[in-house]
Amino acid sequence: MAAWELARAGHPVVILEKGRNLLPGLGGPGPVGTLFSNDEVKAGRFFEAQDPVLEPRTLRTQQEAREGIARSFIGDVNGLANVAGGGTIHWGAKVPRFWRHDFKGRSLLGPIPGAEIADWPLTYDDLEPFYEEVEDRLGVQGDRSRMPASTLAQAPRRHEFAMRPNPPMYAGTQMAHAAEQLGYHAYPYPMAVNSASHDGRPACDSCGFCSGFGCPTLARGDAAVSFLHEALRAGAELRTRCVVHRVDLAADGKRAVGVSYLDERGASRTVRADIVVLAPSAIETARLLLLSRGPHHPDGLGNRSGLVGRNLMFHYFTVGASVFTERAHAWRGPSTTVTLDDFVGPVSGAAARAAGLPYFKGGGCEVGGGTLLLEEANLYAGAGLSGTALTSLLRGLALRDHIAGIQLNGEDVPQLANRVDLDPKIRDAYGFPVPRITYSSHRFELAASSYFGPRVQEICRTAAPTAETEVIGAVLGGSAGGHAGALQTRHIMGTARMGEDPRRSVADPFGRLHEVENVHLADASVFASSSGFNPTLTLMALALRSARSITR
Amino acid sequence: MASARYVARMPLPVNRRTFVGTGVLALGALMSPAQVSALVQEVVASGRGRFLSAEELQSLRAVTARLVPGPPDDPGPGALEVHAAEAIDLLLGAFELDPPKVHAGGPFSGRDGGSRDDFSHFVPMDRLAELAWRIRLEGSRGLPEREFAGPVVGLQQIYRSGLARLDGLARARGGSGFASVSGTLQDELLATKEQTVERFFTAALANTLEALCGPPEYGGNHALAGWRGLHWLGDRQPRGFSAKQVTEPDPPLAADVSPGASAALRANALRRIAPKLVGTSASQRWPG
Repeated sequence: MAAWELARAGHPVVILEKGRNLLPGLGGPGPVGTLFSNDEVKAGRFFEAQDPVLEPRTLRTQQEAREGIARSFIGDVNGLANVAGGGTIHWGAKVPRFWRHDFKGRSLLGPIPGAEIADWPLTYDDLEPFYEEVEDRLGVQGDRSRMPASTLAQAPRRHEFAMRPNPPMYAGTQMAHAAEQLGYHAYPYPMAVNSASHDGRPACDSCGFCSGFGCPTLARGDAAVSFLHEALRAGAELRTRCVVHRVDLAADGKRAVGVSYLDERGASRTVRADIVVLAPSAIETARLLLLSRGPHHPDGLGNRSGLVGRNLMFHYFTVGASVFTERAHAWRGPSTTVTLDDFVGPVSGAAARAAGLPYFKGGGCEVGGGTLLLEEANLYAGAGLSGTALTSLLRGLALRDHIAGIQLNGEDVPQLANRVDLDPKIRDAYGFPVPRITYSSHRFELAASSYFGPRVQEICRTAAPTAETEVIGAVLGGSAGGHAGALQTRHIMGTARMGEDPRRSVADPFGRLHEVENVHLADASVFASSSGFNPTLTLMALALRSARSITR
Repeated sequence: MASARYVARMPLPVNRRTFVGTGVLALGALMSPAQVSALVQEVVASGRGRFLSAEELQSLRAVTARLVPGPPDDPGPGALEVHAAEAIDLLLGAFELDPPKVHAGGPFSGRDGGSRDDFSHFVPMDRLAELAWRIRLEGSRGLPEREFAGPVVGLQQIYRSGLARLDGLARARGGSGFASVSGTLQDELLATKEQTVERFFTAALANTLEALCGPPEYGGNHALAGWRGLHWLGDRQPRGFSAKQVTEPDPPLAADVSPGASAALRANALRRIAPKLVGTSASQRWPG
């Protein structure tokens, strides 16, 4: 994002990318190609994803940290795509905007005991023009006329979407009808997916290998085809397989002079720059700031507040499922075409009081998603099945053809004890300490999941009300204080929150480090809250706003 | 269900507790896609693996047939019909071919529209991808550049030691090897609570399912038998699905009315995987 803005404004830009480029022709004069395909084996073999063999991460709970346990898991913890284009290379491209109350949680909704509820140093209205600009470049489908008034009041849109919604997926449509019967309001999910040719890229053909897969036709807008491609054509230079391990400072420690990195052959290199923009995602941003400690920044770069790495936030997923008699093929389409916002909250009153909270919030729902074949087989294997017990389910097309899910993406409140630090022992293939994640859910998330879960379930039961219908009994999402959620979610936020007060935040309202003004953070590390919505559009809008503060 | 999708993205088994491993694979000559498929056929015909010995391959075939059974125990096709053991042998010796047969190319296979076959042109590895996959397949072998995060047992060793252990257990029960004993005893041996067997079982099941459900370019899913038997269309680009195919349910299959594909079975499927989808319950973990 930042490279796109800076290169087009005439600044010389060097982009240091840790991964490979898997889009032949990116930045060239001709069309962009792709090496991605409808291939579950390749996707499972870390083709584009961060490979935990090279770059493991470690994990423990807050309780384990209190007991002095260094780590209880080593491996794949929230790895995002390690490739030119980053996480958006295999994203689901869901692009809801955050709501007004997400930016002003402290003043509009109030504090939560044990959580670091804070206002962002900007408002929805400050970010709205950048939402529009990013959406214009990505190419977003949706239908403003079908959005609930409550959503539009919280996240007003000045214009209609650029494209009409994709053909609605069958299972999602059935679930949307069920939701409407129950008084809820389902609507087409805003997605950075072409429903018509846009920006030289074709319309989505609903192949179904969507979230978690690179797009084989580039029908999905993303950071590479929508921004990086133009940045390179405007003169930016992309250096792949370059691992930045330190931000280098001037002698007084007040300005960055560039960065140190290992190049694709493993040789130590430096690059000098007037401005350094960091966008390696929230976990890696915290790690890089901590690795960049020095005489003037003994606890990590820009960490006088002690907040670098803290307030790490994930979304948890609360899932309900319907069993359809008919072949509902819930995997077929751009992951899910339906969403609903009825479980965002806030909820106060008796339910909140019972949990000892003034209020809690849930989040938006992905309605009608399913599983692919190998994914289904692996789920059975993971549940301990093999032999005929496994094959009978696979041959019955149980999950992929008959079962559809609703997934609530729940808001995770920031906690000081949920954090990234440097693992004291484990190193990556480059020789640097790996990020160690300490994470447990707050009762805010548990209360919300317990409250909204049965409501998700009720929609599922209404959507497929046959005698044989089975609905998952427990619907509390993965991140119930344990490892499952922290391992599964790919929505990673916080660790270097933005704010006005340098004692209570790491970055300023434009993402610049309070203590090193020419270092910008251009990813979700600066989020002061997680909201209950897919975070990427908001982080892109923030990154553009940060870069615009340089070029204007 | 993005959460479910990521369960399928867990790493291949890596064990950091022990280190064993010998021998270095020689880099072979450049292979064209057609030759690769011929190589698998050759292994099928000869019974001798490219990486595994004839005895190991025979035992692995028997193992995969218990993990994913075919006729006569199961309507099939099963692991034997899709050439699962031969595909695993190809993966274990991936670096014998250049480029290694780990990541098939893209975007299209030519099976569903278009005339290009990109899948068969495997993606070359750069230095770091090769390092990752040599560690994963060959193990860390005490090499400092592979042990930055501790020792790693590679898949080659996991398979070799697992098969040797199962053969030994079978001999102790009166057989001449794993493949020679009854299916009931094979299941019992596969359930042995020993690290060598357990880690082998996990790897073999994951790789057998890849061979059943994955594209045929990896050596499995022979003649698309896996996809056909499971009513799966496989890769769909560049054709994709029509609006009607997205917005309406598919017509019922004969399988839908068979007892094995009942709604009760589907409900059972959901119950089995539900704990994986939803993680541990709140009461077990709260407060953290």
